[in-house]
Amino acid sequence: MSAGLASMGLLAAALAVAVARSTTPILLAALGGLLSELGGCINVALEGLMLLAAFFAVIGAWCLGHWMPDAAPWACACAGCATGLLAALLGAALLAAFHLELGADLIVAGIAVNLLAEGLTVFLLVSLVGDKGSTASISTPALPSIHVPGLRESPILDTLANGADGRGHHVLIYVAILCAAALPLLLASTRFGLRLRAVGESPAAARNAGIDVKRMRYAALLLSGLLAGLGGVYLSLGYLTLFQAGMSAGRGFTALAVVFLGARKPLGTIAAAVLFGASAVLSTELGAMGLPIHLVAMVPPFITICTLVFAGWIRIGRHARPRARITTTTTS
Amino acid sequence: MSSDTGRLLQLLFAIAAALLVGFALTMCVSTQPVQAYLTLLTGALPQLQYSAAHGWEVHRLARFGAALEDGITLTFLGLAVAIPFRARQFSLGADGALFLSSLAGATVALTMGGPWFVVAPASLAAAVLTGFSWGALPAVLKVRFGANEIVTSLMFNVIAVEFYRLVIAGWLRDPDAGFLVTRVLPSSAVLPSLIAHTNVSAMIFLVPVVAGAAELFLARTTIGYEIRVVGDAPRFARRVGLPVDRAVIMSMAIGGAFAALAGIHIAHALLKRLPVDLNPGMGFDGLVVALLARNQPRAIPMAAFLYATLRTGALAMERSTDVSRELVLVIEAVIILFILAERLLPALRAAIGPRLRARSLDTASPQVLP
Repeated sequence: MSAGLASMGLLAAALAVAVARSTTPILLAALGGLLSELGGCINVALEGLMLLAAFFAVIGAWCLGHWMPDAAPWACACAGCATGLLAALLGAALLAAFHLELGADLIVAGIAVNLLAEGLTVFLLVSLVGDKGSTASISTPALPSIHVPGLRESPILDTLANGADGRGHHVLIYVAILCAAALPLLLASTRFGLRLRAVGESPAAARNAGIDVKRMRYAALLLSGLLAGLGGVYLSLGYLTLFQAGMSAGRGFTALAVVFLGARKPLGTIAAAVLFGASAVLSTELGAMGLPIHLVAMVPPFITICTLVFAGWIRIGRHARPRARITTTTTS
Repeated sequence: MSSDTGRLLQLLFAIAAALLVGFALTMCVSTQPVQAYLTLLTGALPQLQYSAAHGWEVHRLARFGAALEDGITLTFLGLAVAIPFRARQFSLGADGALFLSSLAGATVALTMGGPWFVVAPASLAAAVLTGFSWGALPAVLKVRFGANEIVTSLMFNVIAVEFYRLVIAGWLRDPDAGFLVTRVLPSSAVLPSLIAHTNVSAMIFLVPVVAGAAELFLARTTIGYEIRVVGDAPRFARRVGLPVDRAVIMSMAIGGAFAALAGIHIAHALLKRLPVDLNPGMGFDGLVVALLARNQPRAIPMAAFLYATLRTGALAMERSTDVSRELVLVIEAVIILFILAERLLPALRAAIGPRLRARSLDTASPQVLP
């Protein structure tokens, strides 16, 4: 009986680890999406920014390894991480500049950045690596994993803290947890967070209060680019150790849905991201069990729609009269 | 300088800037940048060749046909995006409507027997109805529950694509084919091609008709007027009591119906059967076309065929040189960004303005004086 319990516990721990691994990229991007959403800028480009970061991380690591053959793998990986983040930041800066300086519509410009990322990564992939599908032909170092020692005695804790293979968790998983913990604090109890929310809530009022709206929106978009970039780097230097064309695979759009599913609140966003991570794990497990994968893949979007409808239904109960929200993108 | 000329100038500027960016990228990676770029720009056009033995001959018709086929698809997709955009609805649901309606059309064609004049209209009706209602779905959720239509339409896309794959893999697959695909549609439902070696069907005659109908719909009907007002001045529309909800729903539903036409074109004219791995993401191509045409239905066919020429040229470029066809995506993205940049024009005008203003004053003054 206790042996059965122990093995159940092990299984649950292994599942939890798998969920953490598939949640990480979605969570990082969703936190970024939340930041810019609260700053009044919906960031549709998360998907493309992840893709840019994933690609340039691999290329950065490869280049350092090429130029300095005796650099340690972790140094290459760190250089790659920096390159990837820089690429995502540049993408976000492009979006921000076109929106805030030249008055481009944020949503459509975001879609343009996605297209740019999709095209540029494959274009450069073919030109630099000579392969259309992935960077499998060049070796890519992973960012290091962190092993928690001294848990040999309790296998369940060991699995939780170090994964089923006992090698420890990827460093970006810890970064994601840190970000998830820090973001609510940042938003709720710092001056920056307050100003960000003020700008998102009512740009005119914020401007009257002496807040530089444009600068806050730059900050919001760049920070969301940074977080989405972290998610992208995790994909290519952690989750896998190569870049595949289109490897963000809709995670950026999922992250956008996560923000709305979480009712634009930090804790709700985190919970929604875990839900999507869990359903990704579930769909692989169920697929392995022979259930039609297409049916399982419909579950998370279905839940999202139901939740949005439910949230709207509650809101209408409060305000008595249903009212269509007409999207108007504000240009500051 | 009127606003129309201004917009045209900006469009030309956007295209020129994008082509320049593309050329710079090509220069960076290619050993034959000029040839690659020429292929990109002219590769889709047919070639007239003269030889003593055969006289004048037209070459590369198959490639030209591919550009025409693509242009037809893109016209419908462009309309599918443009109509909701006119009501300022950011529906990205063209993909879902396209997948489901092509599935509906193919199912009707595969299960219903009979002569062509029964089967073809029946599957067209099934597809258009499916697209219409699928397009209306996120709009209804938005109007009733305030659910953000970008998120819901993206999520509905996932559901539609997965449902499409489920049906084809599970129930409609052809057991004799080596891969997951439906049976070939019966000849009563397939649109015959008009040009040899291509799949250019009578759909091409539908392009000006549909674009003209969409233009008339926006300009001359009550619902079209409501859609335009809701898009241009939502608060005004609400204050004066226009049926905003109806305009929102109708714009997105009609967008879905146009996506259904693209689905019909793909299923019944191009592929003639539905593969499980039909490529999602075509809705974004429609977005590009709609933006190029500034959501004006009458300009959409031109934008669609222009873009299709570029895409087919890119395929030719990839085959004959060392530059990959994804270059077009970059060019496309830069075009969109510059078209969107509303404050670009005033900035440009400030840079070149004084000279132009002086000239326009010269021409304007005689008309004003008498």
